[in-house]
Amino acid sequence: MHIVNPTYGVSAAGGEAVAVKPVDWRADPIVLFSNSKPNARELLEGIRARLGEIRRVDNIEFVHKNSASQPAPAELIEQVAGKYKGALLAIAD
Amino acid sequence: MIATETFRPLVLAQAKARKIEPRLIVVKHPIGGLNAQELAERIDTATAGLTQAIGA
Amino acid sequence: MTDTPETELLDIPEFDAEGWNEYALEQGWGDGMPLALPTEAAVAKFVAVCRGDNQPFAPVSPRQIVPTLQSLAANAVMAGCKPEYFPVVLAGLRGVLNADYNLHGTLATTHPCAPMVLVSGPIRKTLDINCGSNCFGQGWRANATIGRALQLILLNIGGARPGVMDRATHGSPAKFAYCFGENEEESPWTPYHVRHGFAASDSVVTVMAGEPPHNINDHGSTSGEGLMTTIAGSIAQPGANNIYGKGPYVVVLGPEHAETLHRDSWTIERMQQHLFERARVPVSRVSKENQASYAGSGHVPEDGYYKIAPTPQDIHIVVAGGPGKHSAWIPSFGGTAVISVRVATA
Repeated sequence: MHIVNPTYGVSAAGGEAVAVKPVDWRADPIVLFSNSKPNARELLEGIRARLGEIRRVDNIEFVHKNSASQPAPAELIEQVAGKYKGALLAIAD
Repeated sequence: MIATETFRPLVLAQAKARKIEPRLIVVKHPIGGLNAQELAERIDTATAGLTQAIGA
Repeated sequence: MTDTPETELLDIPEFDAEGWNEYALEQGWGDGMPLALPTEAAVAKFVAVCRGDNQPFAPVSPRQIVPTLQSLAANAVMAGCKPEYFPVVLAGLRGVLNADYNLHGTLATTHPCAPMVLVSGPIRKTLDINCGSNCFGQGWRANATIGRALQLILLNIGGARPGVMDRATHGSPAKFAYCFGENEEESPWTPYHVRHGFAASDSVVTVMAGEPPHNINDHGSTSGEGLMTTIAGSIAQPGANNIYGKGPYVVVLGPEHAETLHRDSWTIERMQQHLFERARVPVSRVSKENQASYAGSGHVPEDGYYKIAPTPQDIHIVVAGGPGKHSAWIPSFGGTAVISVRVATA
């Protein structure tokens, strides 16, 4: 028998995989991107402090979403993409 | 990305939907609700994962 | 334009009803309850009802798939809808696809929210949508299957699979189906959709990512002031997402409470203002750690109380339900919006 596929649709992402630019995580400016959940900032601050043992940290900065439950605004993502070579995101509760 | 083990399937599914190959560091769940001592363990794990990933 | 087909047919074995359900559940297409068979003929009947609805759909999060009328109809068929319910399902989908609804956040969250679907206008009667006794409960095909169809769409098109992309800690029974009608006939106030700019003759679906209804029991109060004291006190809770002060919520007044409030000159605007000022959480009921966390996002108490709605207009009041001294509070996910969409009818 035939049925209509209930999962069918067209991928909005298109067919091409997204290419990621190379990053020198030991030197390049990077950003620590908090999801604004409790302890996210503390986790990222702890990592930044530890990274000081292997790289300069004065070019490691923090950004955060305005709300844990809302997506990051497009302008913030654009700003991060333009200013930093790499971003470390915290995704958890 | 740093994700807890609980959120790993979500991150991977999202990355697949967006055709991105994520560089993922997985730590124990949760992050919220931990005291400073408990959080230090997560920081250790995440830092170790990051230094390994960047070859430092 | 592309040549992307509008449908994809799957060749499956000849099943009896039990075999089909086993198969469908194995594919991950279901909510655990029996599903109707989405044959080409059944789907065609649904699509025919909506042929004039040519507005494209946005990609459905979290899978980011752009659906077709056929694949959407397949889910409505599986949910047990009648074809004439389909425009209401589509209006609900358009509502949750509005960017301000924040579909991705509401599905990937650990919070138990579900898409609450409120139906206003004449289609409530045409489709026999329950607006009265037990309107949130079982027993009405339209309520049960319209809400279920939207959930199946989010599962099968959106990919919101429990435990994978749907990360709810507990979820809730509202995630099976969460659809009810406004009891316009017993409401002493202007219908919700008319208050929001639609014509009385329009049929409108309003969605919000909400918790299941929290009951507000008040058998004793004999005045509007008394009822509002109980309602404000029931809403002022430190454990709902509204404590962050960023989201809307819905108050569903039972007709008997509504009648008393109206008798005592309570208007919708007056109730919104009253709840905005009085349904607040005293600092003493919020832990020190949470106080610090809220302060970090700029949410600080005013005169010793946390406000839980950003503005009076974020408090949405409707009348629904049947006889009895009960009302209900529907807290939201917080990072969401209440979205109303006119049902596209032929």
